[in-house]
Amino acid sequence: MLNTLHFFNASLLAKLEVGEHYYWKIGGLNIHGQVFITSWFVAAALIGVAFLATRKVERVPSGLQNLMEYALDFIRDLAKDQIGEKEYRPWVPFVGTLFLFIFVSNWAGALVPWKLFHIPSGELTAPTNDINTTVALALLTSLAYFYAGFRKRGLGYFKRYIEPTPILLPINILEDFTKPLSLSFRLFGNILADELAVGVLVLLVPLFIPLPLMVLGLFTSAIQALIFATLAAAYIGEAMEGH
Amino acid sequence: MWMGLTLLAVESVEAAEEAGGLFDLNATLPLMAIQFLILMAVLNAILYKPLGNAIDERDAYIRGAKSGASERLAKAEKLAAEYEKSLADTRKEARNVIEAAQADAQQTAAQKQAEAQQEAASKREAVQKELDEQKAAALGQLEQQVDSLSDQILGKLLGSAA
Repeated sequence: MLNTLHFFNASLLAKLEVGEHYYWKIGGLNIHGQVFITSWFVAAALIGVAFLATRKVERVPSGLQNLMEYALDFIRDLAKDQIGEKEYRPWVPFVGTLFLFIFVSNWAGALVPWKLFHIPSGELTAPTNDINTTVALALLTSLAYFYAGFRKRGLGYFKRYIEPTPILLPINILEDFTKPLSLSFRLFGNILADELAVGVLVLLVPLFIPLPLMVLGLFTSAIQALIFATLAAAYIGEAMEGH
Repeated sequence: MWMGLTLLAVESVEAAEEAGGLFDLNATLPLMAIQFLILMAVLNAILYKPLGNAIDERDAYIRGAKSGASERLAKAEKLAAEYEKSLADTRKEARNVIEAAQADAQQTAAQKQAEAQQEAASKREAVQKELDEQKAAALGQLEQQVDSLSDQILGKLLGSAA
């Protein structure tokens, strides 16, 4: 439990809460409600835009279709660069959903005025602001690259642990743990730090001064989404090609 | 007023009844993973597949149109070259025809001229001949008349004298 120190009367717009969660109980299990609320918002936004963009697919794209084709081209290029021309196609949905979900989550956390919606405890923030989300995405990435490696090379996949030399076996095994750890903590830390920094600055100087930091936050949010997706694709590509 | 600062102090002193904090891992994690997979499946069905197909089809269409266009361009260039060649041939042929016609015409003109000159010469000759004949006839007649006249003169002279 966290101690909360109220220096002054808590304003509705400028309160900073860290580590407080809005608990839902489902079948005796605790889950973080605020994460699910915002992630449903993000998923709904993605699905809505995707639905509108592909309602009438035309050869000469316009409007939303153009935008989403641009996004898809970007994702395909990303996957192609990391996984390779021959194998990248089945992985486009995974890498693309990683990128889109993280990107929209981060930006939703920064742009949507969540503080206007009150929940019993905690506050609504980007889903990526919760360690559960980032660890879930990182573990899925681990599963994805194991799956990719086994499907491509069968049991020969294990050979990569003793390559280039068996001496590196412990390090290679350690890598399987450091990869999801670094993935999840990088994303979590960046988004949390950004929201905290903006929150503190808003608390101290509510007008105009936090704007540059907010813009920087948008930039780092986008970069984090790109990094996560790129690294996931790189791990998958690496697992398939071997050393 | 604005300064409602709620600081965190990560002291889990009274954390007995309820978990919390930044690193509170619980059932959110697997549910989030499942939710992500569902989102991936949905987006795959309504975004990646249709748009990917659209992009691939457009690529194929553009590639096809491009190769067709370059094929047509090559054909057009070939046709143009052919036309050029046949045009040059035709020009050459036309020049030949003109030259032949001119030569022909010149020859004909020369021939006609020669014929005309010949005809004129022969006509002149014939006329000359006729003139000569008539002259000779006239001279003969004149001589006859001179003879008869001289006879008459002689007769008259002799008759008067006798």
